[in-house]
Amino acid sequence: MSDIDIKRISYLAKLKLPSEKEEFYSNSLKDIIKWVDNLKKVDTSKIEPLHNVTEKTVSIRNDVVSKSNSVDDVLSNAPERAQNFFKVPKVVE
Amino acid sequence: MSNNWEMVIGLEVHAQLKTSSKLFSSSPNKFGSEPNENVNFIDSGMPGMLPVMNFGCIEMAIKTGYALNFKINKHSVFERKNYFYPDLPQGYQISQFEFPILSEGYINIESGDNQKKIRIERAHLEQDAGKSIHDIDPKYSFIDLNRVGTPLLEIVSYPDLSSADEVINYMSSLRQLLMYIDVCDGNMQEGSLRADVNLSVRKKGQELGTRCEIKNLNSFKFIKQAIEYEFQRQINIIDDGGEIKQNTMLFDTSTGETRAMRSKEFSHDYRYFPDPDLLPVNLTQEQIDKIKPLVGELPQDKLNKYLDNYSLDKDIAKIIIAEKQNANLFEKMISESTVKPKFIAAWLVGDIFAFIKENNLEVNSLNDKTKDITDLLRLISDDVISNKAGKEILPKVLNGEGKPSELVKELGLEQVSDSEELEKIIDEALVGEEENILKFQGGSDRVLGYFVGKCLKATKGKGNPKLINKILLERLKK
Repeated sequence: MSDIDIKRISYLAKLKLPSEKEEFYSNSLKDIIKWVDNLKKVDTSKIEPLHNVTEKTVSIRNDVVSKSNSVDDVLSNAPERAQNFFKVPKVVE
Repeated sequence: MSNNWEMVIGLEVHAQLKTSSKLFSSSPNKFGSEPNENVNFIDSGMPGMLPVMNFGCIEMAIKTGYALNFKINKHSVFERKNYFYPDLPQGYQISQFEFPILSEGYINIESGDNQKKIRIERAHLEQDAGKSIHDIDPKYSFIDLNRVGTPLLEIVSYPDLSSADEVINYMSSLRQLLMYIDVCDGNMQEGSLRADVNLSVRKKGQELGTRCEIKNLNSFKFIKQAIEYEFQRQINIIDDGGEIKQNTMLFDTSTGETRAMRSKEFSHDYRYFPDPDLLPVNLTQEQIDKIKPLVGELPQDKLNKYLDNYSLDKDIAKIIIAEKQNANLFEKMISESTVKPKFIAAWLVGDIFAFIKENNLEVNSLNDKTKDITDLLRLISDDVISNKAGKEILPKVLNGEGKPSELVKELGLEQVSDSEELEKIIDEALVGEEENILKFQGGSDRVLGYFVGKCLKATKGKGNPKLINKILLERLKK
């Protein structure tokens, strides 16, 4: 099992991790991965990868417009709004 | 010394598909609406909402497959590309990764006097993100989710391009094809077609260098500027003994320079995995075959037809096929009249396009005037009116000021093609010109021009020049 880069994982998940907790979470994750790694004991070399457990194909709809929600519906959970925009702390990249 | 250096470029082109609704929701796929007007709970990433595939997007992808010589895959899979950004409310973009809908295509582009085959690795369907607006408030970003879920086809070329001009040719050929098959409106200003440019440099004949990616270029001008700047930037770094670091660059349209995006503490890791909300797309051969007839005539088919059947000059044919609406207008005129296609084509790319340009019109807006236009061209090619008179009447016809035959009468522009009448005028004009006649007979051809001019003047410019010429020659040779 490869080592866990806990700083990188918390960065990608946008989670702030106090440094004294890093070791604790690192070990917890290792335990989880070790447990999941049990699956590697099964020989799958002759088996096609499975992307979905059903053999069904994606359900489709025709290209038709219907409006189901208003601007106010959509913005109703926004912590802040400005006119009809979501207003968020400045993020520029 | 940039002489020894060459650039190697691959392009990722994002084409917005012009469906009515979005890729996974039935919200309108429309540009220019009020903020957050075209958003529902699926688009805004509300918990528990399930995406449902728009088959219109699959159809457009298949059409593109035929037009760009792709292998159309019966089996494709949607996956989640995970990253956080305020205009991506789901926290992931639904895209295709391992199993795209199209693979291994190509198009031929012009490179100098030759054709060059540009191979295309893949094209896949994915959702667009929303829009962040940073310049309204100094402390806040404003988010408009209208664009969230807009269907995109990302077309990824192999690194087969080796100059800015080739990139422009490739991009405009793609644009032309996508517009011909009616899957993309090609409006680069509105972002319907945009490109990420992957560029590396190497000494001629050497191994590939490290590439940088310039993101989100939405005009031919910017693409050219960005490539030229980035090419020189990379050469300068290597010449100074430095090393190119793989980087994502932004092009600053105000300075014409590229710069690295704010460096990330960690490289991107999108942690793709199959989207559990969406089953794989499995198409039948029937579904794929059914779409083939919808592709229609492609630019190259039209070019061949125009050259072989209508004997147009290549340059003129190319102007007409450049946009589908030009070709449609041209072909409508041919089908409605017996005027020679070559004659129609010359007037179309000449005075008619000039009129369209001057008046800022859409080519389409002339579709209901084709009968009047060809009637006018008939009058010109039958010598009822002169070329010059035709040019005078054309704008009036295009403005809908009257029928060509009425305008000709009204303005008194009918050409005098009555031989007897012209003979009389010519005989009068030759009175007292014995000296010049002798000169002509002595071999001075210039005198002929003088006589034609004199006769035309006598007809107030309405004499048929061809006929005047003919009669004059008969008279003078006596």
